[in-house]
Amino acid sequence: MTVLIVIDQSPYGNWSGREALDMALSLAAFDQPVSLLFTGPGINWLRKHQNPAPIQQKGVNRNLAGATVFGIEELLADQAALQQYGLQSDDLLDGVAITEAGAGLYANYLHVVCQ
Amino acid sequence: MTASEPAQFTLVITGAPYTSQAPQTALHFARAAIAAGHTIDRVFLYGDGVQLATNLACVPSDEPNWHRSWSEFLHAANIPAVACIASALRRGVINEEERARYERDASNLAPPFQLLGLGEWVESVASASKVIYFQGGG
Repeated sequence: MTVLIVIDQSPYGNWSGREALDMALSLAAFDQPVSLLFTGPGINWLRKHQNPAPIQQKGVNRNLAGATVFGIEELLADQAALQQYGLQSDDLLDGVAITEAGAGLYANYLHVVCQ
Repeated sequence: MTASEPAQFTLVITGAPYTSQAPQTALHFARAAIAAGHTIDRVFLYGDGVQLATNLACVPSDEPNWHRSWSEFLHAANIPAVACIASALRRGVINEEERARYERDASNLAPPFQLLGLGEWVESVASASKVIYFQGGG
């Protein structure tokens, strides 16, 4: 049972992405295979050099940096979202794989959870 | 799966009552599933969905009371109901144990909901249950 958690909203506008990440970390803690896909505005989670200190938040990039250490299998970036936000692979955190979001990708997972 | 084959469902509600349609849509689904002979092994409230588990909501008498409707349904159908403890603590939904731990004035968790961790959801995901999500959207 491989699970894909989809994060499709920007990192600091609401809390649901952080709670989606908690779901992924929880699966990993119980040794269940899980990957994260970032798409739409959610692609901004993957930017390097985030500085949310002025809005009294912790950087989500720091949460993600430890994701694979805690057993999350893949961090996936949607190619279309990268183009939409003018991002190159150099702009992204280390260890992110670029993919095409859509039915072809989702078919690889038995359980897909949206944010 | 054919129509006559009973299925087991887990319902995950992430949208709050009176903000989103999620709790009432989930309740309609749950009633229909039970009526059709299916089973529900667990209802799991996550994120804003934990607001459904407060017993302090005072709903105008001429509006549907989704808190009461859900509690009555869960009692009648004897379905275990869980509010994610991390989501609930952040949003001020606490039971007597957490009230004592955090030294608050009152607790407000409505029975039959329990405060438990995401491990409950993981158990459903890893089981044969079909896990259905009812979300608040946007």
